[in-house]
Amino acid sequence: MALEHIADRVLETDVLVMGGGIAGCCVAAKAAEHGLNVTLAEKSKTDRAGNAAMGTNYYVVGAKPREGLTALELVKQWTATLHQVPTKTGLPEMGRERLSDLNILYEIWDKGLWAVEELEKLGVPMKWPDGEYRYVKDQLRTGKFDLTLSILWTNVKPIMAAAVKKRGVNVLDRTMVVDLLNSNGKVVGATAVNTRTGQFIVIKAKAVVIATGLFSRIYNGDMPQTWNYKFHYHWNPATVSGDGYAAAYRVGAELANMNMTGHGYIVDELAMGAGLLGRTDGVPGKILTWRGEEVTMTNARTSISKLAEMEQKGRTPLYMSGEDLPDDYHKRVEVALRDMRLASLKLAEDRGFNPRTHRYEISPIAPFTFYLAPGVNIDRDYKSLLDGVYTVGDCAAGLHGAYMAAPCGFILGENLPSITKNAGEPVIDEAQVESQKQAVLAPMAVKDGTEPMELECAIRYICDRYVTMFKSEGKLREGLRRLGSLRREFLPRLMAKNPHYLMRCLEVRNLMDLAEVHINACLERKETRGNYIRLDYPEMDRTWDNMITIQRLENGKPVVEKRLAPDLEPEYAKEEK
Amino acid sequence: MPEVTSEKHYEEKFEFPLWKLIKQRAEEKDISYLAASEKVLPEYLKTIRYRDEEFENAEIQKRAKELAELTERD
Repeated sequence: MALEHIADRVLETDVLVMGGGIAGCCVAAKAAEHGLNVTLAEKSKTDRAGNAAMGTNYYVVGAKPREGLTALELVKQWTATLHQVPTKTGLPEMGRERLSDLNILYEIWDKGLWAVEELEKLGVPMKWPDGEYRYVKDQLRTGKFDLTLSILWTNVKPIMAAAVKKRGVNVLDRTMVVDLLNSNGKVVGATAVNTRTGQFIVIKAKAVVIATGLFSRIYNGDMPQTWNYKFHYHWNPATVSGDGYAAAYRVGAELANMNMTGHGYIVDELAMGAGLLGRTDGVPGKILTWRGEEVTMTNARTSISKLAEMEQKGRTPLYMSGEDLPDDYHKRVEVALRDMRLASLKLAEDRGFNPRTHRYEISPIAPFTFYLAPGVNIDRDYKSLLDGVYTVGDCAAGLHGAYMAAPCGFILGENLPSITKNAGEPVIDEAQVESQKQAVLAPMAVKDGTEPMELECAIRYICDRYVTMFKSEGKLREGLRRLGSLRREFLPRLMAKNPHYLMRCLEVRNLMDLAEVHINACLERKETRGNYIRLDYPEMDRTWDNMITIQRLENGKPVVEKRLAPDLEPEYAKEEK
Repeated sequence: MPEVTSEKHYEEKFEFPLWKLIKQRAEEKDISYLAASEKVLPEYLKTIRYRDEEFENAEIQKRAKELAELTERD
């Protein structure tokens, strides 16, 4: 059957960008600047899409060669931060370890200041209203350099969305890319669905750039980070269902580090602003027990074991306190709340909350969004294992956060003209489109089935109960068994009463795939390291030094392997001399 | 130090100074809180010692010292 008869709409483009967050906008803007025909598909609305739109107010600029801070130094610091292994000084001891290709990190840090200039060209405010940059003190513990910018990004996304459109990018809002299309070993486009009309769309592309977000929704929706507070259902419709991860995995790409989670406190709605003090003002607030005794929580292992001990002794819940801080810092919290979520100020007032006398609740500890390490495994050109698929931002292994998303987006955008020039015309396999269409639209035909949120909550329950911070073989296997049961019984019964619900159903399908990938990766890594804790393997296994888990589908079956993360090339490493 | 869970502290009316300015502006001009906040923020920022190196360093050092003592005690 002709493609036009299968799909409601067929588009052809040089570059298809999946996701309209920071990474997606940067890559799209730069590629369009070079004259490419670029289509950006965003399942919500680019004006307010992506993680940064839910609040961010710091940006790490990268190397500052004029001040003597090299990319090499930053690469060392970054790999140290990733592991969070405790030492007597509270700093990580495995500073030389790596969880991704250090050469990619090197390039990103090296081009950090260039990316800041590029963001400014898009109209993104990097300076403060007084016309100056505002650097925060010593955030990465380099000891002598300030490299984190405090930024006022309340409107960063509307600004970027407008800039992207101005450069001629064809923006498809409310369009969820569901699956990638491959032909002769190469990805040649994708299928998508309009989340308002249900229109089924085929997009032919010479290159597909995945710039979607994390898959945090396999855990409960609180964001347990003291310095941030991004997603919570009563605040924001959460979009982080790993659509790019899952689409890439299903078509044969490799996923890396899928066992890794961060950890943090589950925070009260208002703790966000106070938590930001440590991140953007260099002054961490005090952590107090409910009795008012101050405690330290410097790293993963000590904080987890300490919290357990405090629970037993009846010293929890914990609170963050700004009571002793000077007035300036209370005002800074206000500015942070205004910048990240204006409604917080109203909420605080309605509650009668006074930060000068009240405390912010911040416990207990839980795993959170898969920050920093996991993602699609890429080479130094941001290319996945598959021809035609490139990945940037939170979907790329080791490149998370707005300050990585922007540089890698711009760098890839610079390279896309040469990539697409040699790509050839995309040839679509119509049978594959037909098969994807049937799978995608199936929930629309189900009556009296399962609501997507019911299944999503069940997935979360399994991850919270059987994976969580403290992992063991038995719990992981039971979690996998339960997921398998859900998949068999309930996935085919997912019901979409309208196209919006169809999007939710497709998100749940992605979460189901990724929860399985996550558990399989945890089963493979039989050791304890940093905040990755296997109760049945409590010691660090040195054969895992610098090794990462890699997963892919082979003939429809999941394969997990252990692989060495590439070290810095000699030409970069020699800078050390 | 007040009791954290004491109800009386919730009975005392407190208004965040910035939020008060935002509300006033929004009501006066009949605009959104977001639009009002953009107008009042630049002036409000001037009341905060963001660029005072001496103050900033003193606060950071004070906090670092407190944390070091606490870590030693723990």
